[in-house]
Amino acid sequence: MIDCVHIPFGPKTPSRGRCFWRVAMGALLLSMVAGVYSAGASDKELPLPDDLTQLSLEDLMDIEITSVAKRAQKLSEAPAAVFVITQEDIRRSGATSISESLRMAPGLQVARIDANKWAITSRGFNGRFSNKLLVLIDGRTVYTPLYSGVYWDMKDTLLEDVDRIEIIRGPGASLWGANAVNGVINIITKSAKETQGGLMVAGAGTEEQGFGAVRYGGKLGEDIHSRAYVKYFDRDSGVFSSGEDGADEWDVLRAGFRMDWQESGPDALTLQGDIYDGEAGVTAVTKSFDPYAPPTLDEDDGIRGANVLGRWKHTVSDSSEVALQVYYDRTERNGVVLDQIHDTFDLDFQQQFALGKRQEIVWGLGYRFVSDNVDNTFYGSWDPDSRNDDLFSGFVQDDITLIKDRLRLTLGSKLEHNDYTGSEIQPNGRLMWTPREGHSIWTAVSRAVRTPSRTEEDGRLNTTVLTPGSLLPLFPGYGLVSLLGDGDYESEELLAYEIGYRVRPTDRFSMDVAAFFNDYSKLRTLEPGNPSLEVSPSPPHLVFPFTADNKMDGKTYGVEVAADWRASDWWRIQASYTCLQIQLDLDGDSGDTLSESAEGESPHHQVSLRSSMDIVRDLALDLWARYVDDLPSQDVDSYITLDIRLGWKPHKGVELSVVGQNLLDDQHPEYEPEFIDIIPTEVQRSVYGTVTWQF
Amino acid sequence: MKRLAKPCLVMCAWVALSIGCNLYAEPSSSREYSVKGAFLYNFAKFVSWPEGAFRDDQIHITLCILGEDPFGDALAAVEGKTVTGRKVVIKHCETLDDLDKCHILFISRPEEQNLSKILAKVEDWNTLTVSDIEGFAQRGGIISLITVEKKIRFEINVDAAERSRLKISSKLLRLAKIVKSEVRGADY
Repeated sequence: MIDCVHIPFGPKTPSRGRCFWRVAMGALLLSMVAGVYSAGASDKELPLPDDLTQLSLEDLMDIEITSVAKRAQKLSEAPAAVFVITQEDIRRSGATSISESLRMAPGLQVARIDANKWAITSRGFNGRFSNKLLVLIDGRTVYTPLYSGVYWDMKDTLLEDVDRIEIIRGPGASLWGANAVNGVINIITKSAKETQGGLMVAGAGTEEQGFGAVRYGGKLGEDIHSRAYVKYFDRDSGVFSSGEDGADEWDVLRAGFRMDWQESGPDALTLQGDIYDGEAGVTAVTKSFDPYAPPTLDEDDGIRGANVLGRWKHTVSDSSEVALQVYYDRTERNGVVLDQIHDTFDLDFQQQFALGKRQEIVWGLGYRFVSDNVDNTFYGSWDPDSRNDDLFSGFVQDDITLIKDRLRLTLGSKLEHNDYTGSEIQPNGRLMWTPREGHSIWTAVSRAVRTPSRTEEDGRLNTTVLTPGSLLPLFPGYGLVSLLGDGDYESEELLAYEIGYRVRPTDRFSMDVAAFFNDYSKLRTLEPGNPSLEVSPSPPHLVFPFTADNKMDGKTYGVEVAADWRASDWWRIQASYTCLQIQLDLDGDSGDTLSESAEGESPHHQVSLRSSMDIVRDLALDLWARYVDDLPSQDVDSYITLDIRLGWKPHKGVELSVVGQNLLDDQHPEYEPEFIDIIPTEVQRSVYGTVTWQF
Repeated sequence: MKRLAKPCLVMCAWVALSIGCNLYAEPSSSREYSVKGAFLYNFAKFVSWPEGAFRDDQIHITLCILGEDPFGDALAAVEGKTVTGRKVVIKHCETLDDLDKCHILFISRPEEQNLSKILAKVEDWNTLTVSDIEGFAQRGGIISLITVEKKIRFEINVDAAERSRLKISSKLLRLAKIVKSEVRGADY
């Protein structure tokens, strides 16, 4: 597979699909054969205790006897920088959205732009349109191909049904593919079997104007469990720096279901889906040639969508499993900049099996079809306004035990073909050394690419209107600054070097340290072109174009530390520290003046400290303090926040809680958005109360 | 087309190679049966045999494996361990004819076709029968080992245990799914 690195892939191979599908078909058939014959068992996965007879029946009943698939790998044993946010963490943090809960993870930069928009990234290059992070909900990719980022105001589920959020910092591209450049966020909900019975949540507060959710899980048959939920929330707007109320209210109604069929046999089926409809307000700076147009415009972005996903897993033997997943997702957004509809159809096949005693192979094939439709506006336009794209991918990963329980080598690569840049290969190699129980050291070298987004290839954003007179004596009329996509825009590339150490000296304490050096090339720049006269839309105006190009290199490095200390049975302390440095260098022939500012758009230092106390049996107190460094290239100072949650369980299944958030100041800014000129609002101090009833 | 030919070849080769190697992959004691072996040992702890199940001179608990042994070396951990002062001894019986009196009998999956004959033979022996054959307990066996969401669970046919005059502790019953015999045309 290493050979492939040297193959000079050109962009846009016209006959891309044929060969790939031939291999796909062949491989699919072969895999069936492989599946049948790969019954050779492996005893290398999660190590079993030496003497199982010492275990109690309960312990024995808790051992997973089959190895798990790539997406469910036990992360504490992965040779990568991983962090897991559990359901318990989410509940006790008081976070009311997925975005807010991500603030618990080291290595991520999470900043709120306004009451419904976030800038979230891993290991730098933050922004509303940050594009180096891949986010999945139950195996469904939720980034928008329009800018390769995530509409955080649209992506949600019932938080109480989330089992865990796995955060993998650093490239995950060899398994997950393009866009998994700086990190992968994997949001995993509980199975329907784990969410049987009823749940009702209701609450309100100063910023939370009102929220409620109902979920019910029941049995549809002997082996079929299901659940369905409905949730709604209405959030208040933030405030501008002046203290005036913004127009960024946010409300979403969402419903969903999940069905899991699992009998004692080898097959398991999952079917799930969600549907949602809501509005997310925004205050945008008006872009117009009308001198009487108001300077800003308050609008509600309509956000709507639905998705359905099916997954079939077949356990061939205790060391071999095949899985087939298919999903369809529709995302609709009507807003200031554009009206857009995205339809995504995705098919994934994956197989895992043991190859002899020392190797475990995971490989898979994927196909994705994305169809979009955009209504152009003066703010943003795309040519063509409708486009269909195919994405073919295949990956293979070999996990080799060099010394049993001590040294493990993982080699893998993803091969992907997209309609923008043709084929991309993203290999990685990882080594994990466990000198003794409770200590492990890992290191990795990976290559990842960030493939162009639709906007970088064929979009245009008009970012600034220059009023008549400002261009005199060059030109008497209006001027227009436009960012243009370019068909020759290439993938951004990353070579990442990582090292990490994990230690668990006692059952009560664990620490995880990861350090990385990322070497980027062909990062996006916006190259100024010659001004030209444009007559439509009238009046005739002078356009100052800035065209997307790849004329920047960059180096980032950092250290992330996470520590977890169970001081006693009733007191747990979790701390994390993130240090990040970004150094960007424009090519000599670049005229870009904007892109280097990314150096100062992610905080250099972040600290999070959480304390979870069970004061008495039915009373819990949680404190969460965070420090976030300033953003030097933005007008954002460093800040310290404190959240406090008090939870009381007066009766079995009932919990009352009060949460105070951002208690240390009246309001503070966190981020100034890029590209699309919206007015950010600040985060206010807030208090809310919740009643949760499980029955 | 040409550009992709090489990676295609490499991928095909990889797949072919993995299949080839797999065919010759050595079976070893698997994770599944290591755990199942430990279950057998635990069952011994929570079952009491009637007086007379142990001859005066007999101080061991015999654990028999009927048919092809799926445990590999997993039962080595069980052999020689003591349960209520009695050492566990393991005996392998290739066929039904070789089968002699044992306290615990594990029936391997390939023996499914002989199941009714096996159960008939051991009926009066005070033998705890265990198997991972599908529906074993419903078909007259005492304990079925089943896999639910990758974990091992067990079903107990209390009537069958009583017929063999075995007493099963309440702790074991609590963790088990209790099932009854179901009449299946083919078997009865």
